[in-house]
Amino acid sequence: MKALARAVRAAVALALALQAVAAAALEIDRMQRLEDAATTPPAASAPGWQEVPLPDASPGPSGAAPAEAFWYRARFDGPARGATPADGGWAVYLPYLYDGGQVWLNGALVGEVPESNAERRVRWERPHLFRLPPSLLRGDGANELAVRAAASPERAIRRFPRVQVGTLRALLPVYDRRLFWVRTMPQLTAFVCALTAGFVLAIWWRRRSEVLYGLFGVAAALWGVRTLTFVIETLPVDQWPVWRMVYLAATGGFIVVLALFAMQLAQVDRPWLRRALLAYWLLGPLWVVLSPASEPLVNRVWSAGLIPVGLGAIAAAIRTVAAQRTVASAVLPAAMLLALGAGVHDYVVSWSATASPPLLTGWFEQRIFLLHHAANLLLVAMGGLLTARFVHAMDALEDLNHTLESRVADRERRIAADFERMAELQRQNAATEARQAIMRDIHDGLGSRLFTSLSRVERGDMSELQIAEVLRACIADMRIALDALAPEDGDFRTALGNFLFRWQGQLEELHFQPSWRIDVPEGAAPALQSPQATLQLLRIAQEALTNVVKHARPGRVRVALRQAGDALTLEVEDEGPRRPPRPPADAPAGRGIDNMRARARQLGGTLELQHDAPGTRVRLHLPSAPPRALPGPRPAEVGPTA
Amino acid sequence: MRYALRASGTGQSGHRSPAARDAMTLRVLIVEDEPEFLRRFSAAVLSDPRLQLVGAVPTGQAGIELLDLERPDVLLLDLGLPDLRGVEVIRHAAAAHPGCDVLVVTMFGDDAHVVESIEAGATGYLLKDASTERVVASIHELHDGGAPISPGIARRVLTRFRVALKPAPADIGAPADTPVSPTPLTPRETELLRLTAKGLPFDEIGQLLGISSHTVVAHVKNIYRKLAVHSRSEAVYEASQLGLL
Repeated sequence: MKALARAVRAAVALALALQAVAAAALEIDRMQRLEDAATTPPAASAPGWQEVPLPDASPGPSGAAPAEAFWYRARFDGPARGATPADGGWAVYLPYLYDGGQVWLNGALVGEVPESNAERRVRWERPHLFRLPPSLLRGDGANELAVRAAASPERAIRRFPRVQVGTLRALLPVYDRRLFWVRTMPQLTAFVCALTAGFVLAIWWRRRSEVLYGLFGVAAALWGVRTLTFVIETLPVDQWPVWRMVYLAATGGFIVVLALFAMQLAQVDRPWLRRALLAYWLLGPLWVVLSPASEPLVNRVWSAGLIPVGLGAIAAAIRTVAAQRTVASAVLPAAMLLALGAGVHDYVVSWSATASPPLLTGWFEQRIFLLHHAANLLLVAMGGLLTARFVHAMDALEDLNHTLESRVADRERRIAADFERMAELQRQNAATEARQAIMRDIHDGLGSRLFTSLSRVERGDMSELQIAEVLRACIADMRIALDALAPEDGDFRTALGNFLFRWQGQLEELHFQPSWRIDVPEGAAPALQSPQATLQLLRIAQEALTNVVKHARPGRVRVALRQAGDALTLEVEDEGPRRPPRPPADAPAGRGIDNMRARARQLGGTLELQHDAPGTRVRLHLPSAPPRALPGPRPAEVGPTA
Repeated sequence: MRYALRASGTGQSGHRSPAARDAMTLRVLIVEDEPEFLRRFSAAVLSDPRLQLVGAVPTGQAGIELLDLERPDVLLLDLGLPDLRGVEVIRHAAAAHPGCDVLVVTMFGDDAHVVESIEAGATGYLLKDASTERVVASIHELHDGGAPISPGIARRVLTRFRVALKPAPADIGAPADTPVSPTPLTPRETELLRLTAKGLPFDEIGQLLGISSHTVVAHVKNIYRKLAVHSRSEAVYEASQLGLL
């Protein structure tokens, strides 16, 4: 839209500038006209001169034998005598002279624009500026200017502009500006269109699904070809029909492709309509190829058929705006409407029989064609839309990537949470199992011992000392269970430490000298992972120390827990029995040992009893990775063994 | 001796040795609701000429009143009282009579109860089934500046101070530059707790740290005091966070 505003401003500025500068030079707005094919100026006295206002628009061939040219003549005052003509002197400026012609000053030829002849066809879009030789210019009186304007037989209206005479310095900028707009600009357009078409079609070549790019590329190419009309001003006669065919094909093609583009954008998918449009497009050029003479008819009929196509394209584009309601979707119809306006404007300029319409007279007299500028805007709009779509697509892709990433992250989090939950369940399960095992242990061990003792007490079978002993053992059992359960992270070192800490006091009171050593690396005890395994280990140690207190000589008691590799060894060593050892088949003593052995088996380990002179050593060996402790047969009552 | 908890200690009969350095008798108050154990503990205190029984009451309320009235040197307190929670009596003793050593009686010496008592201001604990000799010895040890600590209690104390059980690899040798969470414990006290929690016996800890066993138990009592202060300030902090103060 900015580009559009700029273009409008430029056009307005151009018109104003042209008028302003024109005022600085002498603008001839009335001339005498004579229809005469002569190649030298007809005499002033020749019959038929008539005065006409400029710009002139005379109807096409009059009568059966149309003249090949018109002559225009006027008088003007030259530079004041004595005034030194600066900067190359005076010149005459003709904004257009479409079919060529000649310029004469005071009976001498000062300039010539080639006309169509047997070998070549001309169609001059450019303005013309001719220097007036100072020698020919009369400073003191009236100068006679005569212009021959060739008249192409195909033209329906012959046109002749306002002629300006003045200093070269005043006229050159006017000439340059018009030259830029009517000639340089089309050249640039053709060049840029060719570049754009090549680039966009290359994209489409690699991505055929991007139909819009293909259509845009074709439209740019066609428009570039059509714009060559303003670039190629002379052609050999035999190439003329071919060129006209190409021109028609490009013009029609541009409109058809524009319609297809609008359809695609509106997501209207009618294959029959597409085929019909393409067929119609081919019809015009084919017609001209088959019968060159029918060109005017093709121009009138076939070209008129393109108007509904263009209107349809505009309708489709407007429908898109209504459906999408975005600024971007409004760009294309806006540019199309602008192009339509430019087309109407150009039509008025081309076909208006009056050279000076009452509205915007000054502008229309300049005969500036706007359609190809508007078409440039149209191409810019199409390109802009594609760019917007491309950016949008990239944004969408990025969004998609983000979404995917966040989904993957979500999923990962969920999976992690699931794992966490499962691990938690397993932990709970394990904790429950451990708790149940310990409860079973208390039930079977402590419970059965209390009941047995109760029964014996009721029977009067126990001395007070024995009762106290049983109760102490029960309390010790409770403490061990509490120790095994207490550490929240199940660190058996703390449990064993607490156990030994308690035994320390008891042993010392009984005149033993305990020492202990826990030689297990930090955090690693594969053989003792569960509280019940710790409990079993503590019970074995408890049994061993109880035996020490009962049977051993007061003296040193050594407790050591060692880890070698993954295997764990617990040793309880004393200084030997108080009394000489009884025969090996000592039944009660064997019972405590059996209990310890049963517990060792449950832990997946072995228990050795060594009677090294003089001491006794109980040695529990747990290999690495013990089999999961199964609720196997309980050890028999772990009671006093004496 | 192998074991370093007896501050006055020269073996298991240390409390019986004529410790002439402290000729003063210790005034002991017993609060225990079970008559059997009240009798047992009273008998233990009465059995030692260096101990004086100033009162033996079955309720917390009576305990507090006698505490204020008699100002004993040692309070022997059962945790399971019918009227008050044991820790409330401890708190009162710690606040009103800072010179009074509180020795709590627990059934199993379980870590949770002991640490709760220490946080309230107790500095020693006793198992309910302790022998008469053990009771008397514990009272003397406590008053002489030593305090018992089991591995499980050490572990819990570390947790209460928010100190990691395992030292960071860097701060074993030099004091770490990295600001760990501020703890009132000295590095030596922290290390002592860590070694104890690992199950090392006190004599070995003393050797590792290069200090005597008497210093070790003095450290333990200091740690207990710090824990009580720490817990109080933490309670104040938490109360102010909650808008209670």
